[in-house]
Amino acid sequence: MVLGPFLMLGLTVGITYVSSRSNASSQNIAVIAKTPTLRQNFIAENPSNIDKQITTVSAAKQALHQNHLAGYLVLTQTDQRLQADYHGPKALSKGLKAQVQNYLAQTQQVKNYQQAKLTAKQQRLLQRTPKLTQHIAASTGTANLAKTISFWLIVTMIYIILVTYASITAQEIASDKGTKIMEIIFSSTTAVSYFVGKICGILLVILTQIAIYLLGGWAIYSWALSRPHLHAMWTQYHALVTAILHNLLNLNLLYLLVGVILFTLVAAYSGAVVAKAEDASKAAQPVVMLGMVGFFATFPFQNNLDALPVKIMSYVPFLSSYFMPMRIINGTVSLGTQLISLGLALLTIAALAGYIGRKYQHLMLQTDSHSVWQHLLKRR
Amino acid sequence: MLSIQHIRKRFDDVLALNDVSFDVANGQILGLIGQNGAGKSTTFHSILNFITYDGQITWQGHAFTAQDFNHIGYLPEERSLMTKLTIEQQIVYLARLKGQKARDIRPQIDDWLARFAVKGTRKSKIGSLSKGNQQKVQLICTLIHRPDLLILDEPFSGLDPVNADLLKQAILDAKQRGAAIIFSSHDMENVTELCDQLVMLRTGNVVLHGTLQDVRNQFGKTELFVTTDWSTDRLAALPGVASVTVRQPGQYRLHLTAADAGPAIFQELTQGHYIEEFSQQPPTLDEIFRLKVGEPHA
Repeated sequence: MVLGPFLMLGLTVGITYVSSRSNASSQNIAVIAKTPTLRQNFIAENPSNIDKQITTVSAAKQALHQNHLAGYLVLTQTDQRLQADYHGPKALSKGLKAQVQNYLAQTQQVKNYQQAKLTAKQQRLLQRTPKLTQHIAASTGTANLAKTISFWLIVTMIYIILVTYASITAQEIASDKGTKIMEIIFSSTTAVSYFVGKICGILLVILTQIAIYLLGGWAIYSWALSRPHLHAMWTQYHALVTAILHNLLNLNLLYLLVGVILFTLVAAYSGAVVAKAEDASKAAQPVVMLGMVGFFATFPFQNNLDALPVKIMSYVPFLSSYFMPMRIINGTVSLGTQLISLGLALLTIAALAGYIGRKYQHLMLQTDSHSVWQHLLKRR
Repeated sequence: MLSIQHIRKRFDDVLALNDVSFDVANGQILGLIGQNGAGKSTTFHSILNFITYDGQITWQGHAFTAQDFNHIGYLPEERSLMTKLTIEQQIVYLARLKGQKARDIRPQIDDWLARFAVKGTRKSKIGSLSKGNQQKVQLICTLIHRPDLLILDEPFSGLDPVNADLLKQAILDAKQRGAAIIFSSHDMENVTELCDQLVMLRTGNVVLHGTLQDVRNQFGKTELFVTTDWSTDRLAALPGVASVTVRQPGQYRLHLTAADAGPAIFQELTQGHYIEEFSQQPPTLDEIFRLKVGEPHA
C-alpha cells in the first residue's frame, strides 16, 4: 500500500518511455533533396523527428511501406524557386508544416534578395517587421500555477490518506468487537490507555507512510536534478517546484496530521459502535462519507479561495483540514487565524478522545445496550 | 481478599445479579456454580469492572485501582488469542499489559510450554496451533505473571482429563503461593476436588454459599449406601425410604425422607443379617445442584 504510488509512478514512466521509443521511428520523416545544402540546412534548423539515414526517395518509400516513417519531404529548387513535396499517409502535423513553411520562406527570401541585387540598406528595410511584445509578470504566473497545483496536491493527499486509514481503522476495530481478547486486554489495562495506544499506533503507521513519501519525493527530486537531459526542464520549472514545496511543507502538513487524527478517532468510534464484527466493512462508511463531503466541498472554491464559505469552513473541525490549507496556500490568512482554527481542531480531538475512550470498553465488550443517541442524551 | 458485597446488576428488564455477596480470602479457592445464565460471567465482569453495578467490590480492603489489575489473571469463557502472533509475542504482549518486563517473561516461556505440554515452540504462530494447544497458551498467559487474584471462567471446558489435571495442579500451585482464586464450572467433580467454598447462583440470586461440607450438611445425611441381599421392593418398604436406586446388583442407594430414619433402617437391615456396606452421607454436590435447579423459584 505504501509503495503503491511509487510503483504507479515507475510503471507510468516506464510505459511512457517504452511507448515513446516504439512510436518514435514511425513518427519521423525523411528529408530528400538533390541539393545537399538544402537538405543539410533544413535538418540543422529542424533536427527533431527527422530520419537522417534516409537520403533517397526509393529508401523513403520502402521505409514508409514498412511503417518505419511517417512520410518523406522532397525539397527541390528550380529557376530560383523552392518547392517542397510531402508524401505520406497523413497530412503533415501543424508544427512540422509551420517549420517547413518557415524554412522555405527564409531560404526563398535569401535567394530573392540575391536575385534582386538589393543594397544592404534596402535589404534591412525589407526585413523590418512589426513588433509584438507580451508583458507577463513571471512571478505572478508561477505563483498562481503553484497555488493551483498545491491546492490539488494537498486536497487529494488529505482525501486519500483520510479515506484509506479511516477505512482500515474502522474495520480493524470493528473486527475486534465482542472478541474475548478484548476482555483479556481490558482486564489488564484501562480502555482509555488502550484506545489512545491504538490511535497512536495507527498514526505512527500514517506518519511512516508520509515520511516514506517525503523521502521518496526527495530522492526523485534529487535524481531529476542530477540528470543532464532534465536540466533544461528543471531550469524552466525551478520557481514553480520551489513554490509548490513551500506551499506543502508548512503548517499544511500539521493540518494534514490533525485531520487524520480527527477522522481516525471518528473511524475508531464507527468501528466500535457497529452491531457486530461482521459489519466491519460497513463501519467506515460514515467517515468516508464525511471525508468525501470535505473533499468535494472544496471544488467550487478552487478559484475563489477568499469566499465567505471557505472562511467559515476553515474553522469547522473536520472541514478545516481541507479549507484552511486552501487559505494558507492562497496566502490570505494570518498566523493567528491559522492557530485559532488549529486550536479548535485540537480541542475537538481532546473532547472526542475523552468521550470515545470512556465509552470504548463498553462498546467493544458489548456490555452497553444504549444507542449513540441515548449516550448523547443521557447523563451518566 | 476479594470481597463482593450486595452486588446488583440489571440489564434493561432482566435482573442479572441480585444482592450477591461473598468473600475469597488469599490462598483460598471459590467455586461459582449455576446453570447457564445464572449470573456467573456477570459476576466476573463486575469484578473486572467491565460493567457498571450497584454494590461494592473490594480487593485487599480497597476498591480496585488500575495498578491492582496488573495482579489479576483472567481467563474468559471463550478462548481468544491473536492468531497472527507467535506464542512468545502473544505471551509477552499480554504480560507487558500486566506491567511485566519482556526480559523477565521471555526466559520463563519454555518452562511453561513444557509444563503444559504445548505442542509447538515459542516461535510457532498461534494460528498454527490446535484448539487445545491454543487453550494451553491462553492459560499460560493467565498464569505467567503470577497473579494474586485468579478469575477463571469455565477453565476446564474443552480440556481432556490429562490437561485438566495439569490445570488443576497449576491452580493448586497458585493457591499454595497465596493467590485468591475464583472459578466457574459445570463440572461438580472439579469443584468438589478443588474448592474451599462454593457459591451457587440461580437467576442472579445466591442460593447456596459455604464450604463444601457445610453446603452438603445443609441437606442432611439423606443418602444411604447399602450392600445387602434384600430385594429392591423390600428396601423400598422400609420406613423413611423415599426411593431406591440399584447401583450394582446387590448394591443400593436409598434416598431417605429424613436423616434420622437411618438408625431404624440400620436396625432392620442388620437383625440377624450381615451387611457388607452401610454408609449414610449427605447428597453429592451434583445432586444438590440438580435439587436446587429443580426447586420452584422463590
